[in-house]
Amino acid sequence: MFILPQKDSGTPTTSPGSVSTQGLHSNHGDGLEREGSGKPDQKPLKLYGVGDPTAMFSSDSPYLSSRGSIIKWFWDSAEEGYRTYHMDEYEDENPSGIINLGTSENKLCFDLLSRRVSPGAPLGGIPSCKGLSSLGFLGTLAPESLLLASASVRSSALLSPVCPQLSQSDMLRVEPSLLQYPDWRGHLFLREEVARFLSFYCRSPAPLKPENVVVLNGCASLFSALATVLCEVGEAFLIPAPYYGAITQHVYLYGNVRLVCVYLDSEVTGLETRPFQLTVEKLEMALEGANSEGVKVKGLILINPQNPLGDVYSPGELQEYLKFAKRHELHVMVDEVYMLSVFEESVGYHSVLSLERLPDPQRTHVMWATSKDFGMSGLRFGTLYTENQDVATAVSSLCRYHGLSGLVQYQMAQLLRDRDWINQVYLPENHARLKAAHTYVSEELRALGIPFVSRGAGFFIWVDLRKYLPAATFEEEKLLWRRFLDNKVLLSFGQAFECKEPGWFRLVFSDKTHRLRLGMQRVRRVLEGKSQEPRGPHR
Amino acid sequence: MSGPSDMPSMPYGQMRDQALGNRSIHTQLMEMVLSLRQTVEDNITQLMTRHQQQELALEKQRHNQAVRDQEAFLGHLMFQMLHYLQSGATGDQSFQPPDTSMDSRVNVGGGQQAQSSRQILVYQRSDFEDTLISYDLSNRGIDISALYHSSFQDYTYQGNKYHKDENTLGYINLGTSEKKICIDLLAERLSRTDMLYIDEDLLQYPDWRGQPFLRKEVARFLTSDCKAPARLDPENVVVLNGCSSVFSTLAMVLCDPGEAFLVPTPSHGGFILSTHLYAKVELVPVHLESQVTEASAYPFQLTVDKLEQALLRAKIEGKKVRGLVLSSHQNPLGDIYSQDSVMEYQEFGKKYNVHVIIDEFYMLSVFDEAIPFHSVLSLESLPDPNKTHVTWGTSKDFGISGFRFGTLYTRNREVASAVSSFGYLHSISGVTQYKLCQLLQDREWVDNVYLPIYRFRLQEAHGYITDKLKVLKVPFLNRGSGLYVWINLKQYLDPCTFEEELLLHCRFLDNKMILSRGKTFMCKEPGWFCLIFAARPLLLRSAIQWFHQVLVEQGQDWGVKQLEDAKKEEASTSQPAAPASLTLRKS
Repeated sequence: MFILPQKDSGTPTTSPGSVSTQGLHSNHGDGLEREGSGKPDQKPLKLYGVGDPTAMFSSDSPYLSSRGSIIKWFWDSAEEGYRTYHMDEYEDENPSGIINLGTSENKLCFDLLSRRVSPGAPLGGIPSCKGLSSLGFLGTLAPESLLLASASVRSSALLSPVCPQLSQSDMLRVEPSLLQYPDWRGHLFLREEVARFLSFYCRSPAPLKPENVVVLNGCASLFSALATVLCEVGEAFLIPAPYYGAITQHVYLYGNVRLVCVYLDSEVTGLETRPFQLTVEKLEMALEGANSEGVKVKGLILINPQNPLGDVYSPGELQEYLKFAKRHELHVMVDEVYMLSVFEESVGYHSVLSLERLPDPQRTHVMWATSKDFGMSGLRFGTLYTENQDVATAVSSLCRYHGLSGLVQYQMAQLLRDRDWINQVYLPENHARLKAAHTYVSEELRALGIPFVSRGAGFFIWVDLRKYLPAATFEEEKLLWRRFLDNKVLLSFGQAFECKEPGWFRLVFSDKTHRLRLGMQRVRRVLEGKSQEPRGPHR
Repeated sequence: MSGPSDMPSMPYGQMRDQALGNRSIHTQLMEMVLSLRQTVEDNITQLMTRHQQQELALEKQRHNQAVRDQEAFLGHLMFQMLHYLQSGATGDQSFQPPDTSMDSRVNVGGGQQAQSSRQILVYQRSDFEDTLISYDLSNRGIDISALYHSSFQDYTYQGNKYHKDENTLGYINLGTSEKKICIDLLAERLSRTDMLYIDEDLLQYPDWRGQPFLRKEVARFLTSDCKAPARLDPENVVVLNGCSSVFSTLAMVLCDPGEAFLVPTPSHGGFILSTHLYAKVELVPVHLESQVTEASAYPFQLTVDKLEQALLRAKIEGKKVRGLVLSSHQNPLGDIYSQDSVMEYQEFGKKYNVHVIIDEFYMLSVFDEAIPFHSVLSLESLPDPNKTHVTWGTSKDFGISGFRFGTLYTRNREVASAVSSFGYLHSISGVTQYKLCQLLQDREWVDNVYLPIYRFRLQEAHGYITDKLKVLKVPFLNRGSGLYVWINLKQYLDPCTFEEELLLHCRFLDNKMILSRGKTFMCKEPGWFCLIFAARPLLLRSAIQWFHQVLVEQGQDWGVKQLEDAKKEEASTSQPAAPASLTLRKS
């Protein structure tokens, strides 16, 4: 993932500040500026916050428009950790390079995927021991699925009997229609496959329909398009925080839409049964607060399984949130991008599409992608499912700008239709590897006496490092983050997720064992105080 | 689809029983249409599910394609009917919500497929006027979705393409630059096994400016094909998913909402969409004229004088102009700017402190060797390199618009960074980036196989079409590059207005031909059309026959009209000269 560090004000988002540069509705601007002085450090009881990316921005450019300067700021600031990492990545040849436990990517199943997506391609990774043993599965598959999960000719002696020619024709098909202007919603063959796929894996009560599917190049684009077609400039979505911070940018860049944070607490009090629990009461309060500031809220974003908490909502909770949204005529965007990455079987995951009756089907929009569940964030495939044809059509109109190659659409359809491979090879292996990595990291954390939140979904653990901060401020949080980076391990700090309590970090565990071990050693070294002190102001 | 005629009968009957009351004829009509639509949908669903049981995947895809075609076509008809009804029902012609809002109303009653059409209609009837407004979309969302259906090509054409064997009654599209002239070559090249490669980096989050290996290759490719005096720097390259995306992002980062770009017209309609849809940037047209005068040595010549006038006019109107958008060659004129002109336009940009965006999408599509193409990147020194931005893509020169690849070259790091912010939203799959890199890298194939054949085929098709046009006495412009000729059909318009131009356009449509008309290119003079010739010979032959037929009909009507006019004004002695089309009819 990409983290969105903020400028060093120590204020997450509660200070809307000046909004004039963006041409936001003027009736929002004035009211907000008067309200906007509260910082969460000073007012720890603040239950919501109206995000305003422009507040963090100061410089000006002779070449760019005002919004262009803000847009550029996103690029510059997002780069910090990412760029440092890319300049000094850990590799076998560079063992002192940075280990990335910050970006939410699944690096555990590349061996499976490379064989599936591009048979005949060289393997990029070495399967873990468990992975090798599981390849025995393949022997029991039907010939057709063998073709699909077929051999990497050069590197896998295990699978050599499989006919490589056949396997190539599976993924490398070039038809003229795939090279021409597509149906902007996505090729029909793919939308049909997506509908079937989601019907099956979301356990929808009735078959989902291809006409409700829109295909584009990732969920980022989907957030952007939805924000644009559902909101006017300056309007807002509610989002429980901490949340995947890049959404701020996605809805802002084109849409000029803001996020109103519904702050969740680590403390378990009253009605709540677990840390950072979302309740309807909190939603109501945030909505009311935003309304009182003159901010028009048009929708609610739910991430399920949640990022960074690794939490899942029960069907009962989902219904409550959806009913809340219906009461207030809010759209609900449910981001289910980790839906197949629930590796703990005891966690009963329920897609919103599995509900028998949606309170407001016309305002419920579901998002899914292959970035996480299939560990292919670089493939750029995302999809929207909505019964609302107005919304589907409007989003499709914008797909002119968010299209993906016809050849990739073909490959995606091939992948999604290969139920045997997914069910018998990929998912079991992926879950086993995720679980093993998760167990390792959580045991390490327990040994260090570090509290954390994680319920067995996603690629990350939400780690409570508050006791390592000399003072409970975001400056200290950032300093600790830098110390990790100086010790060659990249984490994501809580402020990037709009967490209102300083000291939380997201630690991604879905990496190969050797890197994970080294990463955890470095984390331990920093926390046990054996770390190098920051070397200079530039770091 | 079988038996479309019996579709409406059942629900229509049901509805009449319950519906014939004191309701207006409009409501009843509306219900009929809705039930018709429902029936069609049901029918299609049935067909699809039945087919799912069959095994052959390819056959299935084809079948589904056919079903979709039917659906799109019927859907379009429905929408049109609804649209007419709705304007009649509200009695207010000025209120024209997008067609799509009607579509959703079918679902509003409960949204589930289980709903019967009758239940939906009850809901509909309860508040007829309200059904015309979408509650779900923002105002800009409504604008955006209106665009989806506004284009005939997107809708009916996609559903009913002409095919020499399978669909001889389908539409021939000579209107959009979708070209299949070399698709066979590309399909073959992209099927080779070197395209089959994957590594971990391709599957993980990329550099949002584009993968370094691809940016390097693009820089190399442009250095060579644009004849750049020095090696171009990969750091100045940003790669996005298509040229529309490049334009959209440039409009975002160079202009604030309501600010403007200058654009010489006639100009490709895609600009308008890409600058408007997300970015809300205006285009200020620099109108060019077909008349050759002292100031312009050839038809539609762009001069600095005209640029200055347009800029001045925009300023007077209070518009803030942030840039000038040029395309060389110029779509739809086929003009290629001389090196001197390019320099002049750049100087103009520098003088007035505006960005100059140059679209060179067709730089490899110059098939007449006598015409030298000069890329902006070939200039030794640019007047204002920090405000010069060049775009290119593979949609036109390689005919692979389905690949979604466009690139920006700018020395301005601020602009490059700002555009890169959008990388997330306009990213290309790593796998596709790899393939593009392989394609551009294969100089042997590009230079010795692809380009010679491509240009030869273009030249041939161009020769064929221009010969025919000469026989038909249709004046045209084209300067040996690009995929289309800009033709003048003024002589078939009476009076010569945009209304008549539209009517002629519709006459082409009625005859299953799609020709883009001048108005959509913001041409100031009525009567110009854009005719794509980059099609395979067989299709082109049918097309020109149909084209001829339409002109003959138009000419006949023209004649009849003239005759009637003459009768009305019997006193009149001055008969206008017989139009060329009358001669055509005899031939």
